[in-house]
Amino acid sequence: MSASSAVSDAWQRQWARRGLAAVAAMVALSPLFAWAAGQVGYAEPLENAAEHTGAPAHAVTYNAGLLPDYTVPGIDPFVGTLLSGVVGTALTLVVVVAMARLLAE
Amino acid sequence: MHIPDGYLDLWVAVVCALLAIGTLAFAARRADSELTDAKAPVLGIVAAGLFAAQMLNWPIPGGTSAHFVGGAFAAILLGPHLGALCVATVVTIQALVFGDGGLVVLGANVLNMAVVEVYVGYAIYRALAGRNEFVAAFAAGWLGITAGALTAGLQLGLSEAFAYELLTTLSIMGIGHLVLGLIEGGITAVVYRYVADARPDLFPTTPDLEVHA
Repeated sequence: MSASSAVSDAWQRQWARRGLAAVAAMVALSPLFAWAAGQVGYAEPLENAAEHTGAPAHAVTYNAGLLPDYTVPGIDPFVGTLLSGVVGTALTLVVVVAMARLLAE
Repeated sequence: MHIPDGYLDLWVAVVCALLAIGTLAFAARRADSELTDAKAPVLGIVAAGLFAAQMLNWPIPGGTSAHFVGGAFAAILLGPHLGALCVATVVTIQALVFGDGGLVVLGANVLNMAVVEVYVGYAIYRALAGRNEFVAAFAAGWLGITAGALTAGLQLGLSEAFAYELLTTLSIMGIGHLVLGLIEGGITAVVYRYVADARPDLFPTTPDLEVHA
């Protein structure tokens, strides 16, 4: 391994560490954002359009998911949000890396 | 912007799913040639970052708000094909594990956020990057999400649940995300600037900046 590729490898790992730290910071903040969104009555334009036209009466749930709406059933919603963030980011990381390795072959 | 089940007429959902699958198959073929094993962790971290960022709903007083989607950001950082595959993975995990966005309408959600926002955002970035990369990244995030929202508005307005009120759905989705998209554009530009300074070699669109000793 040449000196320049060793340096670029180290830089790669440092970049990876920084990236993972940024992801972890966002996950750590997720319960705070969930609380704040609740305080201001968070609603997206999609929900506004739905209210406008009576669409919510048509909504159905075919799949609530194992972690419905980023909560863990039966435990504190903010702890559930945090756990959902950990599970979701870890799962995304694993699936995308696996997909990328498959495509690279 | 995640559409739940029951909001789209079946034919709309099916057409969107076919368009999404077709585009992603094309993206996977194109991505094949630009992808090396060494780039896999970068993709994983960017996608995990998009998942985390999408959990952070902006607490804007008054109710109408949104969260970062990052389609244009992924496109600028990874190229449009890898960007589309990453955002599509995030949107799919959100629907399957967290019930965020429906199953029958998954193709529509992928089309809006992982195809339209990604490719429109990328086209805008490429059109403006020659003049000013920061402005180009901002416009890509801003108008990319607006394009995705208009596509969603079109799908909703063609569906019975929304009483076929196409003008209402297009205007609420379009104007809402045109305003909120300013935040998406700001985040896209600022984080782009930071990453571009740290890792200019990551960018598929910039010329090779490495010094070959």
